[in-house]
Amino acid sequence: MKPPRHPWLLTAIAVVITAAFLLPVYWMAKTSLTPPDRILAPTPQWVPYPVTGENYSTALGYEGLTRALFNSLVISTGVVALTMLLGVPLAYALARVRMRGSGSMVLALLVAQLPPAIVLAAPLFILERRAGLDDTYVGLIAADTTLTLPFAVIVLRPVLRAVSAELEEAALVDGCGLPGVVLRVVLPLTVPGLVATAGLSFLLGWGEFLFGLTLAEEPGVQPVTVLLNAFVGRHGTAWGALMATATLISIPVVCVFALFQRFIVGGLTVGSVRG
Amino acid sequence: MTFLALFLAYPLFYNLRTSVHDVRLSQLLGGSWQFNGLDNYRAVLDDPAFWHSVRLSVVFTLGSLVFQFSIGFALALLFARPFPLGGLLRSLLLVAWLLPPVVSGTLFRWLLDAESGAYNALLEAVGLGSLSHDWLTDPSTSLAGVVFANIWVGVPFNMLLLLVGLHTIDPQLYEAAAIDGAGPWQRFRRITLPLMRPVSVTVLLLGLIYTFKVFDTVFVMTGGGPVDSTRVLSLYVYEVFFRFFRFGQGAAAGLLLLVVPLLAGVFYVRRLRREETTGGAT
Repeated sequence: MKPPRHPWLLTAIAVVITAAFLLPVYWMAKTSLTPPDRILAPTPQWVPYPVTGENYSTALGYEGLTRALFNSLVISTGVVALTMLLGVPLAYALARVRMRGSGSMVLALLVAQLPPAIVLAAPLFILERRAGLDDTYVGLIAADTTLTLPFAVIVLRPVLRAVSAELEEAALVDGCGLPGVVLRVVLPLTVPGLVATAGLSFLLGWGEFLFGLTLAEEPGVQPVTVLLNAFVGRHGTAWGALMATATLISIPVVCVFALFQRFIVGGLTVGSVRG
Repeated sequence: MTFLALFLAYPLFYNLRTSVHDVRLSQLLGGSWQFNGLDNYRAVLDDPAFWHSVRLSVVFTLGSLVFQFSIGFALALLFARPFPLGGLLRSLLLVAWLLPPVVSGTLFRWLLDAESGAYNALLEAVGLGSLSHDWLTDPSTSLAGVVFANIWVGVPFNMLLLLVGLHTIDPQLYEAAAIDGAGPWQRFRRITLPLMRPVSVTVLLLGLIYTFKVFDTVFVMTGGGPVDSTRVLSLYVYEVFFRFFRFGQGAAAGLLLLVVPLLAGVFYVRRLRREETTGGAT
């Protein structure tokens, strides 16, 4: 498209739209920094004044918040590890190795993204309870990975395919075994794609809620998303502490996105279906 | 693949099995399950609350889709033009989509709060104070409230995919049309819209699949209430299964919930296939 006549006018329009769109996020951060007694003032303040960390200390004072944050960290790290461990070999096999049924496997992966999480949560609840996996990190990590794995493979397949086949063949000729080729040639060349996939899996694991709600009754393993929801009921009017907690949950998301944003945007457009 | 079979396919199969048995809380861990054929399905289909949820899901999904798509399209058109800071602003918009749904749900619960919610304050500030309202606790507006939040969540994703689509249109087409004397509106109608049709269908299908199964946002915002006014299908399944512990019926309802995404998925996959064979880009 040809350059517009007034590029800065477009910038101005876009800034206004973006600001209006991000108002909720601003409001969250603002509320979390406003003194509790001013939050419910009849005319809401647009700027937090005086800025206070009180809501954060209240939130962190709640029993279980630090524990829940830790749980979420363990779970989403586990999800990333399991997703990559299973996803990379599978994606590589689907990208490179010619085998029967790889077409229908890709199809199966697309279909795997269709079921609503609730349809999985119900049988997983019974199954994990029978297997004694409910209320364990392993149970939650495995459940969350059902959401991330199909997505990861679909994103990784084109990434791995982009590595030149000649390069791999050359390495094979030079006496590298197949695992060696993957580890020494393919993976180093695809670090950005791998990192983006890991980042996205982390985000999905971090934000996951339903499995945490249904598969973890024990607060010792509950992720912070479940705790946040419990707060809404229990401390319904303590908006300051609530928004502080919500902000705390959002910070890692924004960080991960800021670090890997270009790769993530690329990954998203390939992966398409989410959740 | 084995993992997926174990943790995805098997549970789904297991759900099918549960759905034809009479399973209550007491039989959860041990005990024999009584086979009861299609009784669970019949019970669900006879339940007026189920049909109420179906209606709510349809309204929720259509309402979300229409606005997500049109707003997303408008933003994509804006961001498709090169201008300073465009990339940065576009990335900022995506943050909304990446926030955990529980966070955005909580956030909108606060924003739409009656007494000190920001949106009511905003309405008052622009002189529309008479419109200010207790959005989420009034059954007549609660659905609109959750749809509103869901639109907010979905717009960036729509924008992103449509933007990719816009970039695939050959700029020469616009130049040629401009030389032939076509105005901006005509160029939009004659070039952009027809060429964007395949992408649009894809985006809408994905939106349908995604919106139909939304759980977190609604659950956190209203929990299905007030008076069932926002109890969309996924929440219905949740309640039957996890609150009333009617596992057989819950499983049956869950499988019924699967119908719409599955149909949309079939269409989507067929489109992908066709595009792969004709070499078109999505």
